[in-house]
Amino acid sequence: MLKGAAERSLFGVAATIAVAAIAAALPWFGVSSYVRTLVYYTAYFLALGQAWNLMSGLTGYVSFAHGALAGIGAYAVVIAMNAELPLWLALISAIIASVLASLIIGVTSLRLRGIAFTFATLFFQELVLLVVRKLSFAGGPGGIVLQEILPIWLPHVLMMAAAAGATIILLLIKRTRMGVRVLAIKDDETAATAIGINATRLKLVLFAVSAGIAGFTGAVHGLFASSLFPNVVFAVDISIIALAVPLIGGAGTAMGPVAGALLYVLIREALQVIAPGLHLTIVGLLLLAVILFMRDGIVPVLARLMARGKLPARAVPANGPGA
Amino acid sequence: MTLLLQLVANGLVVGGLLGLVALGLALIFGVMRVVNFAHGEFITLGAFATYLLVNNLGLSPLLGIPLSFVLGAAVGAFVQTVIIAPTAGRPELDVLMVTYALSIAALGLFSQAFGGDFRSYSQGPSGTLDIGGVVVGWRSLTVLLVCLAFGAATMFLMQRARIGIALRALAQNRDAAATCGIDVRRSELLAFSLAVGLAAAAGSLVSLIGTVTPNVGHEWVLDAFVVVVLGGMGSIGGAIIAAIGLGLIHSFASFLLDDSWAKILTYVLIYAALLVRPQGLLGRADA
Repeated sequence: MLKGAAERSLFGVAATIAVAAIAAALPWFGVSSYVRTLVYYTAYFLALGQAWNLMSGLTGYVSFAHGALAGIGAYAVVIAMNAELPLWLALISAIIASVLASLIIGVTSLRLRGIAFTFATLFFQELVLLVVRKLSFAGGPGGIVLQEILPIWLPHVLMMAAAAGATIILLLIKRTRMGVRVLAIKDDETAATAIGINATRLKLVLFAVSAGIAGFTGAVHGLFASSLFPNVVFAVDISIIALAVPLIGGAGTAMGPVAGALLYVLIREALQVIAPGLHLTIVGLLLLAVILFMRDGIVPVLARLMARGKLPARAVPANGPGA
Repeated sequence: MTLLLQLVANGLVVGGLLGLVALGLALIFGVMRVVNFAHGEFITLGAFATYLLVNNLGLSPLLGIPLSFVLGAAVGAFVQTVIIAPTAGRPELDVLMVTYALSIAALGLFSQAFGGDFRSYSQGPSGTLDIGGVVVGWRSLTVLLVCLAFGAATMFLMQRARIGIALRALAQNRDAAATCGIDVRRSELLAFSLAVGLAAAAGSLVSLIGTVTPNVGHEWVLDAFVVVVLGGMGSIGGAIIAAIGLGLIHSFASFLLDDSWAKILTYVLIYAALLVRPQGLLGRADA
């Protein structure tokens, strides 16, 4: 049983790397820019969704601020690049900026259980936009533009790496000591604390890592977009997508956000033709339907259905193979 | 001195509205242990309902207030029955995400139906009242009085009526209240319906003193969430004190600095409060 699980996650890692490598090579295969953009956005939403998943999917502490954390990464990378820092250093400063920002939320609210964290993220989303619009070095309300012109393949390849890296972390984390502790917290925080797990520190570290991934993802997207406007970068939409993608696909699973990101990009493209304005409404209704009728998300439910077809009912693993 | 009183008057109007919204949030959280993230969209509902009644049917906005309350209560009863009640007994995350999903869907619908235009109307109370140098618009005064009336009626209901006592019993100890024969489903339906009615009435009042946009409820509800957290989750008394306090802070900070800084200050205040007194002004430590 355990050996099977280990093989499955190793297979998952290999498959993730293979898919990401093919997707990253697309700019040299001469595919149309439309297809390349679709692949890019799928990876973008996947990486953001996995960042959210790492914190909120695994612990149940819901974050409404992952879009804002990614936005901070985007701003940091553009400011650093415009200050003539090399790319790698600019990306690292973006990660650091997002991690530091996550500490504002984490230190104030993660000592507490339950809803305080969610409120702290909700206010953070608004606070960041207000503050960025006041900062002159960040361009104020008018935004900033990346001075250097980067080759088109660079953000594409980096985004594939971000999506693959985040997915691999989710595939492997449950096999680490930290992952097991996190699952213990989700199941019963009081019991976990009683057996000596420092829940506050663990949640803080997990949220910081999650914010770091969001910051890197946002930074890469900042390089891709190259012009940043505060009202766009810190729009609440990005935070909504970051949580809708894993929740629809299957929160707390590694493969859920993959399905969620693919589905979301498909819906977005279809609506672009039919009714572009209804895009958030559809996401909201889909989320509502999934929570009410498929509470674990699409991937775990499909996995259970498939397992039921092949195996006798009692052999079905409790969490499903997607977990 | 006159300026000071003027700022206090402005603060009380904002505080009254925040109090009305926060009262509903605290009621829902106290009785049902649900954070209603869709509350802001019910404010928007009341604001647009009033705008349409005034603009398209030529009714008085004063009539729009009770009508919005009734509309809100009906919508609230529907949402509670069809969407929230089926999630009873599920993990907290599920219920949270249901109200959030509802908020996203409704926000999208309002944006699609009404676009980003700023709408307002000129009908209804107009002019100003001069009380010893303090100038208060009749519209603002109407808002304050209606808030007081709704607030007083709700408090009376909670303190004196049988159903109010049942709601408070549920908030104190759900299992014990259910054992004593209190109909949990019916009480929750009433609490949610009443709270949404209050939010819609608040939206109607918002349309009287400001512009109506699809985002209007979202902006108000964020401050109301600040109020609820500051006051102590589920504590109605704490919410009212915090609402008036926040209204005053807002009024003074907007005058001394500007509107954005006033909001930034509000959020800094909430992080400080989470650090120092996470249970809120009057909240219980275990809530």
